[in-house]
Amino acid sequence: MKQGSPGYFTAALRVCDLSIGEMLWSRRTIFMALVVGAPVLIAVVLRLLDALGAPVFRVNGATMAGPAIFGLMIWVFYLRFTVPVLGVFYGTSLIADEVEDKTITYLFTRPIAKGAVLVGKFFAYLVCTTFVVLPSVMIVYLAIVPVRGSLGASFLDLVKDLILLAIGLAAYGAVFAFIGARFKKPLLVGLIFIFGWEQAALAFPGYLKKFTVAYYLQALVPHAMPNDNVISLIQGIFRESPSLAQSLVSLTLILAVFLWMAAASVERKEYVLEQ
Amino acid sequence: MTRKTRYFMAGSAAILVAGLCTGLVAYYGGGFPSLSASRSGPAELSYVPANATVVAFANIREIMDSQLRQRLKQVLPQESGQKEFQAETGIDIEQDIDYVVAAMTTPGEGGLPNNANGLVVARGRFNPTQLETLARDHGGVVEDYKGKRLIKISDAHVDVDRQDSTVPQHRGGDHTGMLAFLEPGLVAIGSETAIKSAIDAQLTAQSITSNGDMMELVSDIDRGNNAWAVGRFDALAGQAKLPAEIASRLPAVKTFAVMSHIDGGVSGSFRAEARDDESAENLRQVVQGFLAMGRLTSANDPKATAVLNSLQLSGRGKTVILSFAVPSEVLDMIPLDKLKKGGDGMHEPLLRPELKSWGPKAPKAPKPPTPPTPDR
Repeated sequence: MKQGSPGYFTAALRVCDLSIGEMLWSRRTIFMALVVGAPVLIAVVLRLLDALGAPVFRVNGATMAGPAIFGLMIWVFYLRFTVPVLGVFYGTSLIADEVEDKTITYLFTRPIAKGAVLVGKFFAYLVCTTFVVLPSVMIVYLAIVPVRGSLGASFLDLVKDLILLAIGLAAYGAVFAFIGARFKKPLLVGLIFIFGWEQAALAFPGYLKKFTVAYYLQALVPHAMPNDNVISLIQGIFRESPSLAQSLVSLTLILAVFLWMAAASVERKEYVLEQ
Repeated sequence: MTRKTRYFMAGSAAILVAGLCTGLVAYYGGGFPSLSASRSGPAELSYVPANATVVAFANIREIMDSQLRQRLKQVLPQESGQKEFQAETGIDIEQDIDYVVAAMTTPGEGGLPNNANGLVVARGRFNPTQLETLARDHGGVVEDYKGKRLIKISDAHVDVDRQDSTVPQHRGGDHTGMLAFLEPGLVAIGSETAIKSAIDAQLTAQSITSNGDMMELVSDIDRGNNAWAVGRFDALAGQAKLPAEIASRLPAVKTFAVMSHIDGGVSGSFRAEARDDESAENLRQVVQGFLAMGRLTSANDPKATAVLNSLQLSGRGKTVILSFAVPSEVLDMIPLDKLKKGGDGMHEPLLRPELKSWGPKAPKAPKPPTPPTPDR
């Protein structure tokens, strides 16, 4: 590294600042808007229909309270879909996009560590996704929870949800940043990881589930796990919940180790741009 | 970072901060009843403590205006007690009370032994000055509790007033009743513990509205009924301190809900939620047995048969529902004038003119034969 060049962290922050705008106004944002907009739209429509007297909150003859519906939406929309899917689409593209656009050379010729480029882009991903996902959760909370529920009574659950979603975005992002930096066809590998490996590992008894992110993340959820399909039912049967401390330590380790591995991978790897 | 990006992030952060502040204020400050537009039940439920075992509601205005009440009013004598009550308190029960919410909670540490804490919250038009004067005249003591004006009336004072009366004296200890002016047009009556718990419940948002199980029951029955009650049967049975033999024979019912709509007739239903499917099935069979027995014994009584036929048993799983509908036509069959004090019961039953012909009709006279028409 040249003398007078910024430190690793400063360099990462500069890359982050540069990348946020690019990431936020890219074509992927349309996909992200659809993914996080759907629960908001559903919540608002449910609220309106309930206000008009439609029995939209009745499930199997019983009327569900707003907090229960909110918990269900956190599980189904955010935890099982939005967080891993955004992690895959953004995480795997941190370096892959620059390679594809043949612009990685411009970043690597700067007087900064190559790893800092990835870390900076990871920070940008984290800022973009949290600033889109968390407000969406907030709108769903304000729309749904007051229906036969109390905003105050559900507030602590909301805070836990926001924290765990942010942690989930970070952990999945780190894993997929490594996959993006290390593998060819990272998107395919990422999708197999979340919809193949994680689902299968959680459905079987044994220790395999410890090699998933969802195992630790789901232990933090303050809402009851829904059994909305066969896989969920089986996962519910074999569900083991690690302790809060174990989950937090494991997720932090996943984040740190995979981010470090991704950065190290970028440092070592020679990217050959196809002509 | 471009200006567009900054605006977007500032907007997102604003939503996040606003939501968190709202939640935080709700968490510490007692919720936002007005924001919960679609919440079930009357707003006064916020005064019912979360641990209430029974909650009831009656829309007095609707019931008083109902056709049934109007008919009863015509045949029943004007009650002098009602007039006395109006003269003393200034409250015309017929006109001044809109609706009442009643609740019963298990006696806590401050509660009376062997006595549940009853609470009645009434919404209407009241004259606080007249009520306060009346209470003071009867030895009431005015005090403030968390900004609400309370009038404490002890049984000790009432007993002194009744020294010369023939009413048996209450010796159960110093029973303190209380009248509270919660809001303009909203008064509460109950034991001291119940009233103070109600005020605390409203201020801390730890009311029945935060009790998901009870609110589910309320939301199920609130619409379309002008009187209802929901409760936890297990808590009630435990509170009743029944002998073990009787308690063990009680049906394993967890919650119950009674709802009715009073207008020209009376319709409603009783719904019980059993602990398991088997208990529910047993309960259904017991009720079915009673209904069959009732039909057997009342075969010759058309009025009782009509009422029994209106009872419908339904429900599946853990739910048992007994619904009834007594239409005004069936009520017309009851000679209400017998209810009149001193009435000889020989008058014609009070019938609506259009229904006087209700009942088994006499066979029609055969039509006279039409003369044969000549063939063209």
